Amino acid sequence: MPASKYTFPCVAGIGLRAPHYREVLETLPELGWVEVHSENFFGGGAPLHTLRKVREHYPVSLHGVGMGLASATPLDEKHLSDLSQLCNDIQPVAVSEHLCWNAATGFVINDLLPFPYTREALDHVTRRVTQVQEKLKRQLLVENLSSYISFSQSEMTEGDFLAELTQRSGCGILFDVENLYVNVRNLGVDAEAFIKTIPADAVKEYHLAGFSERDGCLVDTHNHPVYNEVWDLYEHVLKHLGPRPTLIEWDTDIPALPELLNEAAKAQLIIEQCHD
Amino acid sequence: MTELIDQLSHFAQTIVQGKEPKTQITNCYANYSQNTAIEVYRNNYRGNLHDALAGAYPVIKLLVGDDFFRMLALKFIEHNPSRSANLHHYGAELPDFVASFEPAQALAYLSDTATLEWACHCAYFANDAPLFNLAQLAQFAPDQHPYLVFDLHPATRIVRSLYPISAIWLAHHPDAEVDFQIDLNSGSCIALVCRRFNKVEVINLSEPEAYWLHQILTETPLGGSTMTTLEHYPDFNLQTTLVKLVEMNVITGVKLGA
Repeated sequence: MPASKYTFPCVAGIGLRAPHYREVLETLPELGWVEVHSENFFGGGAPLHTLRKVREHYPVSLHGVGMGLASATPLDEKHLSDLSQLCNDIQPVAVSEHLCWNAATGFVINDLLPFPYTREALDHVTRRVTQVQEKLKRQLLVENLSSYISFSQSEMTEGDFLAELTQRSGCGILFDVENLYVNVRNLGVDAEAFIKTIPADAVKEYHLAGFSERDGCLVDTHNHPVYNEVWDLYEHVLKHLGPRPTLIEWDTDIPALPELLNEAAKAQLIIEQCHD
Repeated sequence: MTELIDQLSHFAQTIVQGKEPKTQITNCYANYSQNTAIEVYRNNYRGNLHDALAGAYPVIKLLVGDDFFRMLALKFIEHNPSRSANLHHYGAELPDFVASFEPAQALAYLSDTATLEWACHCAYFANDAPLFNLAQLAQFAPDQHPYLVFDLHPATRIVRSLYPISAIWLAHHPDAEVDFQIDLNSGSCIALVCRRFNKVEVINLSEPEAYWLHQILTETPLGGSTMTTLEHYPDFNLQTTLVKLVEMNVITGVKLGA
């Protein structure tokens, strides 16, 4: 069943990156949807022109890496307005950001950084998610983070934080299964508790990716096929929370398009088994 | 909010400025130490900024080689924190840094080439603008022409150098098709960066053309710009300059000035 370009189809998609733009547009592979990093298309010119062409053929999801929802500095109005302009242009099927921070007074750290899950932080992030949703006039999906440290000041788990955040702000959840797996291995996070805490209705999308290891720490590098343990966890998550649009992310050492599509096909198979 | 600000800013300083992490960060991981985790964040920080510079400055990278570029980038990153959540904004100060970077002193043209490359990088992401053709001038009566003000494409930049930086860029940019010998003593150039059909292009301007375009960039009306230019450069040809700049998609609109 071909999905409308304006609804988020419950099938597998791929993260579309620059090395594959041309091949995807020339061969138009059978593909449920694609996701791109929002910031790469701010402004105009060739990037935006390319994305408009992609949009003619596929549903597009915009995935931001720069909003810094938990930063303690004021929300970057220019960044938000660039995103808003891109949304109006592309009409994405979903818009997502990460549950993280990236800015301190005077400088920005262009990464996805963890913070203590406190009630104070929850109030703060709720206000900012609301601000973003009001500007974009749509629901924002917020993604759980892969983390290499945890803060002793945290008053709740990331799962509790996300569940409360969705209830207060009306945002959705982008459940990154690989991030959860990384946190289980790195920080001893309880995967079962996380899955039980997350409200199924709020989950609108899944992410899958590969990680790497550095001195015993799993690092969310998106440079590898999805590992078997993550596939297993994904199947388990789907049994509890139900199938959703699922993305294969690959950002470093990006493989040939067929390999990426093959990973998406594996996810598609699991989605279909879950529907049966 | 005060607590959150304190916690995040200390963590930020740990990553960016190499401060010792506070014990407030728990350290009960089974498989690695807190230092390992902090190093992962420091590596990500430097790696992301290095990659942003490599993306913005492919010609500089090609000219100096990967290892030299990495050394240059890491030194630059030490002194220049990012100020934008959009990584495409990172690296505007690199040309000045290159000019004062001791190991690069032998490459006198490098800083100007970097200035040109940053202009090209900004041009690539600049906002779109409408298309223009000279026939649109016909909507104004001839006696209004001296008062016309041109809109220029947001991608437009002029870069002057004592070195042939346009030729250097043309020979080394990622889509360059030909490799040709460049005579570094071939003299100065005025490079015009523009974008047409979504492609960034670099062409050379003559002194009179550049002089005129500078006036236009500051929204001086057509009559005044042309007159001042002719005073300095009696050979200046308005017709050919206009045709050239419209063809290069530099002029994107026209209106009657105030």
